[in-house]
Amino acid sequence: MIRYIVRRLLWMVVLLFLVSAITFLIFYALPSADPAVLRAGRQPNTQLIAHIRHQLGLDRPWYVQYWHYIKRLVLHFDFGYSYQNLISVRRQIFERLPATISLTLGAAVLWIVVGMAVGTISAVYRGRLVDRVAMTGALVGISAPVYLLGLVGLYFFANDTGKIHVFPGSGSYTGLTVNPVKWFTSLLLPWIVLATTQAAIYARLLRANLIDTLSEDYIRTARAKGLSEPRVVIVHGVRSAITPVVTAAGLDVGILLGGAILTETVFNIPGVGHLAYESIKNSDLPMIQGTVLLGAFFIILLNLVVDVLYAFIDPRVRYA
Amino acid sequence: MKFLMAMALASTALLVAGCGGTAGKKGGTLTVLSQGDVDSLDPGYQYYQYDYEALSQPAQRTLYGWKPNLRKPSPDFAASMPKLSNGGKTITIKLKSGVRFSPPVNRVATAADVKYAMERDFLPQVANSYAPVYYGDIVGVKAFTDGKAKGISGIQAPNPTTLVIKTTKPVGVLTTANALTLPGTAPVPKEYAQKFDKGKTSTYGQHVVFTGPYMIPNDRSGKVTGWTPSKRLELVRNPNWDRKTDYRPAYLERIAFLAGNDLSLATRRILSGNGQISGDFAAPPVADFKLALEHYPSQVSFTPGDSYRSITMNTTVKPFDNVNVRKAVAAVIDRNALVATRGGSRIGPVATHYIPPFLPGFQEAGGSKSPYDYMSQPNGNLALAKRYMRKAGYASGRYNGPSLLMVGDDSAPAKNTGEAVQSQLQQLGFKLNYQQVPHEVANSKFCGVPKQKVAICPNWAWGKDFYDSQSMIDPTFNGKNIVPSNNSNLSELNDPKLNAAMDRAERIPDPAGRAKAWGAIDKAVTGLAVQVPWIWDNDVNLRSKNVKAVTNLFNGTWDVAFTSIK
Repeated sequence: MIRYIVRRLLWMVVLLFLVSAITFLIFYALPSADPAVLRAGRQPNTQLIAHIRHQLGLDRPWYVQYWHYIKRLVLHFDFGYSYQNLISVRRQIFERLPATISLTLGAAVLWIVVGMAVGTISAVYRGRLVDRVAMTGALVGISAPVYLLGLVGLYFFANDTGKIHVFPGSGSYTGLTVNPVKWFTSLLLPWIVLATTQAAIYARLLRANLIDTLSEDYIRTARAKGLSEPRVVIVHGVRSAITPVVTAAGLDVGILLGGAILTETVFNIPGVGHLAYESIKNSDLPMIQGTVLLGAFFIILLNLVVDVLYAFIDPRVRYA
Repeated sequence: MKFLMAMALASTALLVAGCGGTAGKKGGTLTVLSQGDVDSLDPGYQYYQYDYEALSQPAQRTLYGWKPNLRKPSPDFAASMPKLSNGGKTITIKLKSGVRFSPPVNRVATAADVKYAMERDFLPQVANSYAPVYYGDIVGVKAFTDGKAKGISGIQAPNPTTLVIKTTKPVGVLTTANALTLPGTAPVPKEYAQKFDKGKTSTYGQHVVFTGPYMIPNDRSGKVTGWTPSKRLELVRNPNWDRKTDYRPAYLERIAFLAGNDLSLATRRILSGNGQISGDFAAPPVADFKLALEHYPSQVSFTPGDSYRSITMNTTVKPFDNVNVRKAVAAVIDRNALVATRGGSRIGPVATHYIPPFLPGFQEAGGSKSPYDYMSQPNGNLALAKRYMRKAGYASGRYNGPSLLMVGDDSAPAKNTGEAVQSQLQQLGFKLNYQQVPHEVANSKFCGVPKQKVAICPNWAWGKDFYDSQSMIDPTFNGKNIVPSNNSNLSELNDPKLNAAMDRAERIPDPAGRAKAWGAIDKAVTGLAVQVPWIWDNDVNLRSKNVKAVTNLFNGTWDVAFTSIK
């Protein structure tokens, strides 16, 4: 197991290099704004633009820029400086990471719990009214874009713009260490919004898998041996049907840790997703690189975690 | 004239409504909701509207400033208006005593601090973009920027309260004090800032000190602690500010500028909430704008934006090298329809030329009426347009050449404007290769890069730097300003006669003479139909009910140094 994890971690480093190189290439290949021109303001002379270009290292070939970037990153864990405000990328990302982690993990707990509960109940009561209501609800949840759901949630339930004042509104995010109670209440609505679509997907996924699993021979055997129905469903059924859910959860949490752009934007949560969006708008390559690498890191890491989890969930899986 | 009077009355009424006519209540916290953040904390770099609103106006003392209800510079750190001698080439400015820097510098600011501030505007590591344009004729600038002199000899501080600026020729924007209102004239303490100005990029912004009523909180070393980029900027009282030296009342105790807001939500939060005002957005989204007008009319304020929006045609790209084709385009454009794409007539009147109402030279340029038939009909005139096409050699009155590259914004409302332009031009047979890209890309990679040979840019906009029309006309139409990137002369107009007229107008020292000269140039440029100006923008500002907000006419936004909580 240890050897497997080490091997995967090494692969992670290779993949991160590849991701960073591809991001660099995309930035140069696609039409993006000229960062030196953006930085120079509206009436600059050519000397000023040339100076800024030199200052930002943009007057060198892209592979030289990339080499310097990687060297700084590997030797000093330095992501460079934002073209936009000339502040350290690492500082800005790490300042925003707690908000993104808070948003993602809270929502993940919510969608996994709700999704699994609804999926299990639907599978067990397949074809009955409770199943139909749950699956119709799930369909609505899947169809509602997060952005729309967020806006609707705020227009109805925010305590500033809403009709019924229940939750704190957009821009109310408070850090956990600043005020834990405000942190919790400010994230309640974003958690619900972000978790709604995911919970609906997970409920449908688990339901389909669980229905298949519950018709397997070993489940029939378990029932024949006189095990209680909850034990059959939860210990033998859900444990086996959950594997694709764990895979999806790993990926989703990884992606969202790289930045839940829409949710962060609607609720003005100062997270990494919002930063990524702004940096793309401003052609801020160091910031784009930093946020993309962070996203890739979380996705790869969470995939590894999922693969390791398989060994515990599914008795058939063993890593040499 | 009637039009101008109506505009003046409307803006005065709104300003008075905002002011409330009486003094504000002291104390309280104001929250400013914005989309973006300030460009920099360094006064040497600041240039844009939001930089003024968040930092330059409430936290710094530039030589001259803008009182909310005046359209002319007022002495701020300066004690009086500049005294001119030597045919306008020597400008002597007396400074106030008792203006102090915020902690950790704490000492009194002097003329030497303004001299250093203006010198560092030319340092490449500060990256100021307007200094060469407005201060470039000060004696000794070239020697300084070439590294042959340690300072600019034409900026002198003979004593702590006297600043003397010597120029090689009379420079109108300096003699009228207009260009001395720019943030780069705010004093900077050399002994403190010099160490931050070394290296490839100045880091003074992260250690900036203030002379105005407010400051960003900092630690004992001066490092700014009250700013999280693209998230939050906080202003608190500057303990060293002396009310007696300033015209700002500075009622508020604390001001928080919050970035990253969704415009629609921010609009609703401000209107239905407490203690909030709008920040950097010129106007709310169209649907929210209608809601605001319907349900919260008293919380919406309109201020002339002193800017125009236009469709530019590149005179180096066929068929726009032909003046009659350009006139045909101007004639066919339904400018009322374009105004509707941004929210209708409340967003601003239809433009007929470039200098906006309230800027000197507006009347001289034709006022609200145009002497040209192709700019006289705001709904467009297809028959007239076809006549111009025939004059240009298109017998059918329709364009029959190859398709033309048009580059516009990809997000509303500018996207809607571009699409309206596309459909209007199709009436004249124009086939367009219309590329929609993000706003920043449109200007920095296409429209502002002459070698891209973009024929039409439908989303161009330009605003004043101050109340002098040179800043409206010269950067955008003088041939000397055609540069390989970030070009502001999008039409690439390079008319030797007009260039000479602009160079002459730059040197006129008296305001009346300048208004006449720049107005005449505007009229001549409009006669060449290189752009189709279609709106003089209004800025739309929003406030919560309990905020007694005051608009500053100069930059069209709220002035937080005059705003209070009811």
